Amino acid sequence: MLIKIILLIIVAIIVLRLIFRFKGKDLDVLAFISWLAIWVLAAVIVVFPELTSFIASRVGIGRGADLVVYLSIIFIFYLLFRLLLRLERIEKNITQITSHLALKEKDSPHDR
Amino acid sequence: METLVIIPAKNESQKIVEVIGEVKTAIGSAGDVLVVDDGSTDNTFEVARLAGAITLRHLINRGQGAALRTGISYALKQNYNQVVFFDADGQMRAEEIPLMLERLKAGDLQVVLGSRFLGKIVDMPLSKLITLKLALLFTRLTSGLKLTDTHNGFQAWTRVALQKLALRQDRQAYASELLSEIKKNNLRYQELPVTIIYSDYSKQKGQSIFNAFNIVWDLFIKR
Repeated sequence: MLIKIILLIIVAIIVLRLIFRFKGKDLDVLAFISWLAIWVLAAVIVVFPELTSFIASRVGIGRGADLVVYLSIIFIFYLLFRLLLRLERIEKNITQITSHLALKEKDSPHDR
Repeated sequence: METLVIIPAKNESQKIVEVIGEVKTAIGSAGDVLVVDDGSTDNTFEVARLAGAITLRHLINRGQGAALRTGISYALKQNYNQVVFFDADGQMRAEEIPLMLERLKAGDLQVVLGSRFLGKIVDMPLSKLITLKLALLFTRLTSGLKLTDTHNGFQAWTRVALQKLALRQDRQAYASELLSEIKKNNLRYQELPVTIIYSDYSKQKGQSIFNAFNIVWDLFIKR
């Protein structure tokens, strides 16, 4: 029981920081809702862990904890993939800027 | 102006003056030499400028592909009719540049690709040979072109052909990308025997065997 309270407090703090970030325009609506949903789900699982066992048995996986791990891993892979794409985009943008600067520097008079 | 020889360079202050001199001799008054300094930490840029090359500078290192692209943008902007890609490390022979340009004109081609396996290789390290042969196999399959040397930076292009390119790869995968673009645009190409010399200097600077994997990663996974 105590562990549930501690975990819920942690989730509550995270959600508060989430709201704070959203209010401060650091997060857009979509990202805010998405992460909020995830943490609400986490809170629900903390309060009703039997829920995961129930779903797990329905889909044929042994334990609720296993199900949570599998789903989390899938989610993390997906996030990683999206991150790599973002990084790739950023790298290309940096190259474009670097190239543009190189050509622009050419146009301005040299010091010699 | 007729011809631009683009030399991407990173930290080549030791060799670049010699290379620029040889290239200038080879093309004479019909062409210019452009050195694109790709974020060198030594004074390659200044040294190249003093040696009489046109110089462009990437403030940070973006890769040989990116440096070439900057050079190509410059060539197209300045309306050069032929462009030659040449390495800064002394592995290539500048005397072969006129041969490339001749073949471009004589064969009414849009691209001439140098091939060391048709030409001559001096002192190639075994690890390099293995890497190249593997890359060759892979690139022949993915680009669909029947080539004897798929990773040779010694190439000549016409302006029209360059204008058709849509290049995105910054680092080592640019070589494979160039070939895919040739295939995609149905450009008229031919291979030409060239000489590649592996000196101690260039061997110590060279690509590692792991670069073959980097190329696969770049082309498959980063797509």
